[in-house]
Amino acid sequence: MAARARQVVKAYGSGETRVVALDEIDVDIARGQFTAIMGPSGSGKSTLMHCLAGLDTVSSGQIYLDETEITGLKDKKLTQLRRDRIGFIFQAFNLLPTLNAIENITLPMDIAGRKPDRGWLDQVVETVGLAGRLKHRPTELSGGQQQRVAVARALAARPEIIFGDEPTGNLDSRAGAEVLGFLRKSVTELGQTIVMVTHDPVAASYADRVLYLADGRIVDEMYSPTAESVLDRMKDFDARGRTS
Amino acid sequence: MTVLKTSMRNFFAHKGRMALSAVAVILSVAFVCGTLVFSDTMNTTFDKLFAATSADVTVTSKSATDPGDRPDTGKPESMPASVVERAQKARGAESAEGAVSSESVTVVDAEKKNVGPSNGGPTIAGNWTHNDLRSMDITSGHAPRGPTDVMIDADTADKHHLEIGDELRTIAVTGDHTAKISGIATFKVTNPGAAIVYFDTPTAQRELLGATGRFTHVNVTAEKGVSDAALKRDVAGAMGADASAYQVKTQQETSDDNRESVSGFLDVMKYAMLGFAGIAFLVGIFLIINTFSMLVAQRTREIGLMRAIGSSRKQVNRSVLVEALLLGVIGSVLGVGAGVGLAVGLMQLMSGVGMELSTQDLTVKWTTPVVGMVLGIVVTVLAAYLPARRAAKVSPMAALRDAGTPADGKASALRAVIGLVLTGAGAFGLYTASQADKASDGSLLLGGGVVLTLIGFVVIGPVLASGVVRVISAVLLRWFGPVGRMAERNALRNPRRTGATGAALMIGLALVACLSVVGSSMVASATDELDKSVGADFIIQSDNGQAITPKAAKSLEQADHIAHITQYKDIKADLTAPNGKTAKEVGLSAADATYAEDLRTETVAGTLADAYKPDSMSVGEDFAKDHGLSVGDKVKLAFDHGRTGELTVRAITSSETAIDSGAMYVNITTAAKYVPADRMPPNVIMFAKAAKGQQDAAYKSLKTAMADYPQYKVMDQTDFKQTLKDQVGQMLNMVYGLLGLAIIVAILGVVNTLALSVVERTREIGLMRAIGLSRRQLRRMIRMESVVIALFGALLGLGLGMGWGATAQKLLALEGLKVLEIPWATIITVFIGSAFVGLFAALVPAFRAGRMNVLNAIATE
Repeated sequence: MAARARQVVKAYGSGETRVVALDEIDVDIARGQFTAIMGPSGSGKSTLMHCLAGLDTVSSGQIYLDETEITGLKDKKLTQLRRDRIGFIFQAFNLLPTLNAIENITLPMDIAGRKPDRGWLDQVVETVGLAGRLKHRPTELSGGQQQRVAVARALAARPEIIFGDEPTGNLDSRAGAEVLGFLRKSVTELGQTIVMVTHDPVAASYADRVLYLADGRIVDEMYSPTAESVLDRMKDFDARGRTS
Repeated sequence: MTVLKTSMRNFFAHKGRMALSAVAVILSVAFVCGTLVFSDTMNTTFDKLFAATSADVTVTSKSATDPGDRPDTGKPESMPASVVERAQKARGAESAEGAVSSESVTVVDAEKKNVGPSNGGPTIAGNWTHNDLRSMDITSGHAPRGPTDVMIDADTADKHHLEIGDELRTIAVTGDHTAKISGIATFKVTNPGAAIVYFDTPTAQRELLGATGRFTHVNVTAEKGVSDAALKRDVAGAMGADASAYQVKTQQETSDDNRESVSGFLDVMKYAMLGFAGIAFLVGIFLIINTFSMLVAQRTREIGLMRAIGSSRKQVNRSVLVEALLLGVIGSVLGVGAGVGLAVGLMQLMSGVGMELSTQDLTVKWTTPVVGMVLGIVVTVLAAYLPARRAAKVSPMAALRDAGTPADGKASALRAVIGLVLTGAGAFGLYTASQADKASDGSLLLGGGVVLTLIGFVVIGPVLASGVVRVISAVLLRWFGPVGRMAERNALRNPRRTGATGAALMIGLALVACLSVVGSSMVASATDELDKSVGADFIIQSDNGQAITPKAAKSLEQADHIAHITQYKDIKADLTAPNGKTAKEVGLSAADATYAEDLRTETVAGTLADAYKPDSMSVGEDFAKDHGLSVGDKVKLAFDHGRTGELTVRAITSSETAIDSGAMYVNITTAAKYVPADRMPPNVIMFAKAAKGQQDAAYKSLKTAMADYPQYKVMDQTDFKQTLKDQVGQMLNMVYGLLGLAIIVAILGVVNTLALSVVERTREIGLMRAIGLSRRQLRRMIRMESVVIALFGALLGLGLGMGWGATAQKLLALEGLKVLEIPWATIITVFIGSAFVGLFAALVPAFRAGRMNVLNAIATE
């Protein structure tokens, strides 16, 4: 397993105002798999991802990255962990405006003081189709190109796991398909582990497995999804949600 | 109304972001108000003192004017006792009393320590009169009754732990008298810092005037119901035939005249401090402009929305100005309050250096808060005007765009052109000034050049920022890897902001650099001149500006191992040139012929030694030019209180000298022919040359000769140079201290820029933290950015200031400031210090950035 969550609870506030975002969740993320997390707004899917990635703390329970328990780690260790073992792709604002594309791609390694693996870097840049745009600043790139830079950054450091938070949420369908294609390819061809939060059935269809969250619990899962099957399942949930 | 409401809400919503701007306004206003309150309080103190010490009507000798105006003869002008009797007989006079008072005294205690004030306040000796009872009470012992009694004021007694029975020695040109303290008198009003001793009348007359039956002035008390003015008329009438020899003044007139004598000093101090407050305001303007620019930039979307739903440009503009108005009002009100506190603090500080001021006299005129408020509000609103205009230009479309970070301001080409033109014009002015043949012509050019280059640098700052920041970063930040690189990029991303922040620091540091260059050039030039032209081994001079008494001069002449001793006196005369041109009250340096060896002043014509021949003299180059004099010309001299003689000009001295520039030399024996012995002033300074090879022995011997006179210092050349250096250093330190205010405001500016930048870059910081930037790296990044901005300001400021200083030196070379010395130690210290200032300024912003919640920072709505 690349990552595991055991009995994870995330609650805000206390007493009457207590809101539970994650309710004793158990999740296993398999290595070399592309996992999508879906669910309606407020279902806790982003919170789950943040907790798995060591960005947020949990109220109780344990989270493991490989065999390392990350719950309870101090900020310094968590930062190192994110830097060395995790990759991120956010929905927007993925890049530092002051750095050009290649500087953004190598940033995590630069911060760590590691030399990037030239061959691998070239391959990643080649894969995402950014050669020739490496000296451009983010403002000189299109939205799709910017997200591809973000993907390249996530891949370049060869992290154990990549977390994506609606990585295609701000893109049109063609650019989105491109980015998702790269993510899919990196899993299939390079054995990368990816966890992605999304509410788009098409995006989810690129995954090997889809987890459905509702009210802080995992309510269902689906392997080898297609856009149609995901959509159907969601309609299903919606209908149930309305009747209950 | 809604405009006002949104402004208020905005203002209070961002009160933290306004805080530093408010501090800048508070500091500047406080400094202005503090200065005003302080100087008004000093005026009140002196007014009260002089009102208490002046009699209803005072009669003085007409020639007794301000002692600073004429050579100190060491003997006050006096009048015969008959004047007292005449005043007594005047109608309306209840009583008249002869008084003796002299400021040409030094009082030392049994351990030969000067008990007089060391801060330039006077030591006054006189007879104890009824008039003194108006301002003082005898609080212990009794008034002086005979030649062995002396009474002293309580403040001085306290300061030097003097008690009744202690011995005090009073040294004047006319006497050297030791007496025991018989009483201590305490002032009823505040005595700002004079040391006062009283004798009985015969002793005061003998020791201070060197004559019996004479007085320096007469205090006349009016009968009940007689006004001072009426009494003045009657007393003047009673003076009879030689009424023209006396001045009769009412209490008001006496106080006014006394006030006049101190107000020059008070005004200089007041205006100097206001000048520094002005610089602080100038620096504060940058801070305020930056704050509002950043707030407007961060609020672009909000302003766009306001415009989209129908706010006019004018309303947007006004809403920003209203916020500035609020800031100005709040800052000014607090500033006025802080100013009064500052004045009290200054008073305490002054008492530390011996100038006593009482909080009872604290004077806050109604104009003070008004001036402070108006200044604070006007400056704040004006500074916010540019950002407000920019806010008004925000298009309604801005509301629809992605939030992101505000657009990074680029330095425009127009700005570069304007900046270059201004700087070029300024540099040309400076260059022309450095080439001027007359200092007076060049000074205007220098002033213009300074102002133009300063403005030019402020304008061009943002353009320079990118280049200079890159250079500093290349040298400094490359050791810090990607963190350094990001710090560099951050400092570069908004050159206008970096430029303005650096410029604020630049102003203060430019002044520091300029003054330190001028100061050290002054010391270097004088040292150079001393080495080149001073032949004397020793200089003997008092430390309180008093003449050397004949008795002390005699003991100097009796010192051993001496080749020669030179006397030097200042005398005055009216000079008439052959072409009929007359110069009134010209100062002449009457010295022994050996002075030509002691100070080898260069001549442009004739030989200096010839000027000491009988009935000969020398004149300065400029004076000779103005009066058409050349060597061999005969000039008529009407000596002050003496006869008229005809002297031959034998030498014309060069004006390019720092020491004795423009002095006219005449031999003492020549002067003695025309000035009566009792009018011949004592030496103001004396010089000595050691017998060959007996330097040390001579130094010791001279010191021994002066052991009884703590007020006179025997200095060899090393001592003298050190004294010079100390004096210049002291003055510079004072100026640096006052410039500190402007620098503090500039540091606040750096803090402000960083703090607002951190807020603005919340999402970026969150992203970096998410992908693995540690807190330490983040903090270091912000510190590095701060250091780079500070060094940018320092580099510009120091460069500019050194340019100014060098130009001033070139210009003043004509006045003897021949050597340019750049005080590298100071310059480098300031530069390195600026780096620390940068680190310090980044402390809080870096800490806050480190504590920022990663999740909030990256959250997408």
